[in-house]
Amino acid sequence: MKIQVFAVLKDYFDKEFELGAEVGDIASLQSELVRLNPSAKGILQLCRFAVYDEFVDNDFRIEKNDTICIFPPSSGG
Amino acid sequence: MIQSAYSPQAVEVEVAAISAEPLDVAGLFALAHHPEAGAVVLFSGEVRNHNNGMAVDYLEYEAHESMAIKMIGSIVDDAKKKWPLNIAVAQHRTGKVSVGETAVIVITATAHRSEAYAANEYIIHRIKHEAPIWKCEYFSDGTKLWGGNCNC
Repeated sequence: MKIQVFAVLKDYFDKEFELGAEVGDIASLQSELVRLNPSAKGILQLCRFAVYDEFVDNDFRIEKNDTICIFPPSSGG
Repeated sequence: MIQSAYSPQAVEVEVAAISAEPLDVAGLFALAHHPEAGAVVLFSGEVRNHNNGMAVDYLEYEAHESMAIKMIGSIVDDAKKKWPLNIAVAQHRTGKVSVGETAVIVITATAHRSEAYAANEYIIHRIKHEAPIWKCEYFSDGTKLWGGNCNC
């Protein structure tokens, strides 16, 4: 699966990267990312996840070819 | 709410919700007049030169463009359902925005001012908190800070 991160998350991960690990849903993706970079734990807990331009919940089942976008809290305006 | 004898004539003003180019505030305002609208409220969110006691040089905005466009469109549509708006327009910048420049603009036009103000506030509040758009502040001392700890 491909991961795309935005805004402050780019200080913790590459903007875009392939994740080889087997993760079944968003919750386990979150744990895997914390394992890769423990300092991102706090911010990851505040993030929203989106697949195919739709927000998804923690129990969303991730398919192998999905691209998952990870959004920190909005700060527009 | 004042009930009019007829439903308001809503006019669709086609505006890109996200723009990498400077926002044309006067040009957008020129599109926002309507014969039934006695009140046009224009909010321009502009970059100020200080935040939390720090001198700000400029901001840089990033967006997930396709989702931000969709979300701003649906926020504007929600506002049109809640208030009898003749015109509602919202546009947000991406990229580098300097002090004094407009980062976001919301225009609402309707018969009376209380509804124009309320709808405008509703739209800008939801855009700031829900749309996948982020600011990074670049300070005069060379440091930078990503937004996300919104104190508004």
